[in-house]
Amino acid sequence: MNSSPLARSLNARRGSKKAALKMAAVFVLAALTPTVYAGLEEGRVKSQVCAACHGADGNSVIPTIPSLAGQPRQFINQALFMFREGQRKNEQMTPFAANLSNADLNDLAQYFSAQKMTPPTRQPEGNIVVRGQAVTEKNNCVACHTPRLVGQQHIPRLAGQHKPYLLVQLKAFKAATRADLDGTMTSAAQGLAIDELDMVAEYLSTFVPP
Amino acid sequence: MHIQTILGAAILAALAGTSFAQTPAPPAAPAAPAAPPSWKQGMASEYEKSALHPFAPHLTGRPASELPVSKLTVPDGFKIEVWVDGVPEARSLALGDKGTVFVSNRNLSNVYAIVDNGGKREVKTILKGMKSPNGIVFDKGTLYVAERNRITRFDDVESKLDNPGEGKVVIDNLDPTNQTGHFWKYLRMGPDGKLYFNIGSPQNITMPTYNEASILRVDPKTGYLENVAQGVRNSVGMDFHPVSKQLWFTDHARDWLGTDLPNDELNVLKTKGQHFGFPYCHQGDLPDPVYGVNRSCDQFTPPALKLGAHIAPLGLKFYTGNMFPKEYKNSMLIAQHGSWNRDPKQGYNLIRVTVDARGKVTKHPFVEGFLENDKADPPMWGRPVDVLQMKDGSILFSDDYNGIIYRVSYSKKSA
Repeated sequence: MNSSPLARSLNARRGSKKAALKMAAVFVLAALTPTVYAGLEEGRVKSQVCAACHGADGNSVIPTIPSLAGQPRQFINQALFMFREGQRKNEQMTPFAANLSNADLNDLAQYFSAQKMTPPTRQPEGNIVVRGQAVTEKNNCVACHTPRLVGQQHIPRLAGQHKPYLLVQLKAFKAATRADLDGTMTSAAQGLAIDELDMVAEYLSTFVPP
Repeated sequence: MHIQTILGAAILAALAGTSFAQTPAPPAAPAAPAAPPSWKQGMASEYEKSALHPFAPHLTGRPASELPVSKLTVPDGFKIEVWVDGVPEARSLALGDKGTVFVSNRNLSNVYAIVDNGGKREVKTILKGMKSPNGIVFDKGTLYVAERNRITRFDDVESKLDNPGEGKVVIDNLDPTNQTGHFWKYLRMGPDGKLYFNIGSPQNITMPTYNEASILRVDPKTGYLENVAQGVRNSVGMDFHPVSKQLWFTDHARDWLGTDLPNDELNVLKTKGQHFGFPYCHQGDLPDPVYGVNRSCDQFTPPALKLGAHIAPLGLKFYTGNMFPKEYKNSMLIAQHGSWNRDPKQGYNLIRVTVDARGKVTKHPFVEGFLENDKADPPMWGRPVDVLQMKDGSILFSDDYNGIIYRVSYSKKSA
């Protein structure tokens, strides 16, 4: 078999010291210039179809629809992938995701992850902060979602996400019906009592990362 | 007991009338503590606030052009190159007689075929909608696919890649509970014509049921199923020694016992029915703090080699080709997916394991460079999964984190 174009370019790079030095120079330059991610502009253009529900900058104003602004890039990519492949199902999202290419997924993830999330305006009610903190600590939610609950890698941001959306997801994890990687969240949700879910969703949706 | 006491007190109170009415009620029995969720099972108290978390693959894959592939290193005389990218979550590999490379998924539901299309590699999705089809093996024209719940066969698959059909079931109902657990499978064809595969442990550390935490084999002609090895927590790599025909397999040990314990294992099955320790004894000499209390590690078969804690050994292949130097012949190449349950991280590489004439088992480095910073999160940019030997004696290995397959070749001239 012939080498794929990628393999060829890799070998070409290896083959010549000059080329290697040139590459090194490019990397240094890249390190010095402010980061402009590939796919950001493409993602902005492609995101126009998402705007009706998720908001132009990924800040949804519809409580049942999640905000995408400031979500980790890998998480958005993964969520779209699961919708496209039918592992996550949703009447509205499934048809939108069905025709997206891998490049579309990457560009959209790039765009939405680079947007700033509008902080929640609602204040938590009563003793929600104390109770919510206790539950998230007891269940070590912060191990994966980070102490600021902003998510990382394939793990979503929870801070300031819409409460009704969070509640639907938590209930689905608790019921073991939500697509999940290796069952981590399905297992974690079993540690939450049914009557705690609403309180947890309230806490997370009003949480402003310090 | 408590209920009886309370009932007794209530009856006494009723009998004694008002004189007891002012007495405070006896304290209620304390509620039994709820069982910990499965992610917390066996977690030592110092880990309760741990920030260690699993990693997940980039499901669309990442283009090799955006990755530091030039950082990969191999021993002198070897060359490593990107063979193909854009194979989402590339896991197990199998080679068809006509040169098709089959690639499986674990979190996803597809099986891919990589074919030569006029000198260009093309990734075709040949099977869709499968349940975690991690195990694949090609034998005598047939592709066998092990999903969580069943094994199916696709006969003469290479001549009908565009429409391989529904497949014929070899065995079904391997996943009656449909719960989360180590239930994706690795699949190998044995020298006896039987299909060998694993059913892992249901959780990190719980008592497995009789067919869990074991390696089984099924005769594809009859569907006859046998349990061949027990006490195997999660083996996702196995191969038969080219000479002795013994089954060698990797095994992932439990989590949350510490950064350096327990070691993941390389094992060899010498007799059908051997027990390799899980959940009672880990790494051959470490009794489990809960399940091992009334057992001795002497009751179980120890590993042939301790590979390192949480290092996650996956695919294992005996090298039988003629391209690599002769000391490589019949040695094992093992892909290590890399750790998450320790700090600092380790693994994310390929090693070679040799067994000398006296049976001494030794590991040697082979491919390095995916681990960039063992304290970073994530520490690596790629994770090796499975190894495949090609007809020319070169090897391919998969990286599910990026959906890339690499090729390692050897040439005396470049040595």
